[in-house]
Amino acid sequence: MPVIETRGLTKTYRAKVKGEGLGASVRALVRPQWKRVEAVRGVSLSVEPGEIVAFIGPNGAGKSTFIKMLCGILNPSGGELSVLGMDPTRDRRKLSMRVGAVFGQKSQLWLHLPALDSFTLLAAIYELSDAQRKRKVGELSEIFGLGEFIQTPVRKLSLGQRVRCEVAASLLHDPELLFLDEPTIGLDVVVKQAIRGLIIQRNRERGTTVFLTSHDPSDIENLCRRAVVIDHGGLVMDCPVERLQAAAGVSGSGASMEDTIAAIFRKGAAT
Amino acid sequence: MGSLDRTGRMGSFRKHLRVFACYYRLNLASALEYRASFFIQAFGMALSNSSFIFFWWIAFRQIGGSIAGYSFEDVLFIWAVSSCGYGLSTILFANVSSLTNLIVTGELDTYLLQPSSALLSVLCAKTSLSAYGDVAYGLILMVVFYAGNAGAWLWFVFGALALAAIFTAITLAAHTLTFYWGDASAVGKLAAEFAINFSIYPEKIYGPAVRAVMYSLIPTAIAVHVPLKLFHGFTPWTALAALGGAALYCVAAGAFFYRGLRRYESGNAIVTKT
Repeated sequence: MPVIETRGLTKTYRAKVKGEGLGASVRALVRPQWKRVEAVRGVSLSVEPGEIVAFIGPNGAGKSTFIKMLCGILNPSGGELSVLGMDPTRDRRKLSMRVGAVFGQKSQLWLHLPALDSFTLLAAIYELSDAQRKRKVGELSEIFGLGEFIQTPVRKLSLGQRVRCEVAASLLHDPELLFLDEPTIGLDVVVKQAIRGLIIQRNRERGTTVFLTSHDPSDIENLCRRAVVIDHGGLVMDCPVERLQAAAGVSGSGASMEDTIAAIFRKGAAT
Repeated sequence: MGSLDRTGRMGSFRKHLRVFACYYRLNLASALEYRASFFIQAFGMALSNSSFIFFWWIAFRQIGGSIAGYSFEDVLFIWAVSSCGYGLSTILFANVSSLTNLIVTGELDTYLLQPSSALLSVLCAKTSLSAYGDVAYGLILMVVFYAGNAGAWLWFVFGALALAAIFTAITLAAHTLTFYWGDASAVGKLAAEFAINFSIYPEKIYGPAVRAVMYSLIPTAIAVHVPLKLFHGFTPWTALAALGGAALYCVAAGAFFYRGLRRYESGNAIVTKT
């Protein structure tokens, strides 16, 4: 059974339209005008257990909106959606027990406290017993090398240390499915490699399915076997990573992964 | 089946309690990271509250007897309840006043990713340092002016707990409007100010229309003025009505939040938890 299955998944927003200047602001106050924005347009997708899928697209393509619907954060406007056999809208809390997520721009760690304290809170939220919490924190601390700084307030950690803690926090409850939204954003090469190694290890040892969005071509090259490209809210490509060049029409040109992705995005923008 | 349901409910209640306790410990630990700030804010709030009581003492000395049917001791009682109730609300649920910001910046995402009650997590995720001063001040007033009066203490505890719940619910309902209006921070602030004003002055200084609001839309009177009436003359129906009214309002505010949550649109602002 697929871990993720969507059929014609759609998300539309109502956005206010306002002209420039004070006059337009006053007019908008009296008679607001709205436009319908289609953030995700009829996306159908299926992900099997144990896959590591790159979900890529230019800024504003609808990636985050799509992932947020899969996590149950946003309610879809249309289409069908099943994650681990559940409807995220209806079963959000039940689904959360089996899903982990790292949003590069949002932190689940408490800034003024050591990561260890945040782990304690998350353990309570994920209903781990004290013994389970100690075992899991010890295990993740060893794998992610958190020992040196797990008791240091998060605000004093480097970005790399913080991201390691974030990813560890998302794995505390042994999720079967991991959503990683730009997890390596802003990290140096060494830390990026370390994070990638940990994701691969997790996938191999536990069979964790990984759904990853990233603007870093190296993440896609080194982690994923399959790439799904989305643009203007619609699915434009779904193929093995090694066939991306051919799909982008740059095979044989010696184009790097970055060039390949740029070509796909340009193609998407032109259509 | 019934016993299974009860076991499930008890398990869920215990889980919520564990999460709640964990949030409280973390909030306090986070606040104590800056000890000097903690003590200055708490002491400053107690001092600020004292100046209001000094004003009331002068007013009663000038006018004498009672003001709008309240004696000086009555005013001290409603101040003790208000101070403690408001303090408890902001010690335990300070994050409620950040709700608009959480909705607008998309920070609710973090709470919605977790398998706990979104409302509980949102409410408990922040504390206010100065609120400890509010609670201390309310307790000091009770110790100084009602030390040996068991009845006063009973209705004080009832009122403070009810006000903490109602004040949180009022602020929650006001900020929930953000799901519909885009930004209800001003309404949230206004509702909190009205709630405080309705709690710290004798009920009858307000006209009938305002008093109707004090028992319906912003029902702080249920938690402050009704306990004072119960202290002066207990009637079981009034106590039950107050308890029922407070519970109903809180449940309605929670339901309103969850209804609004369906309209949540998230966002991609870069945020960190403090």
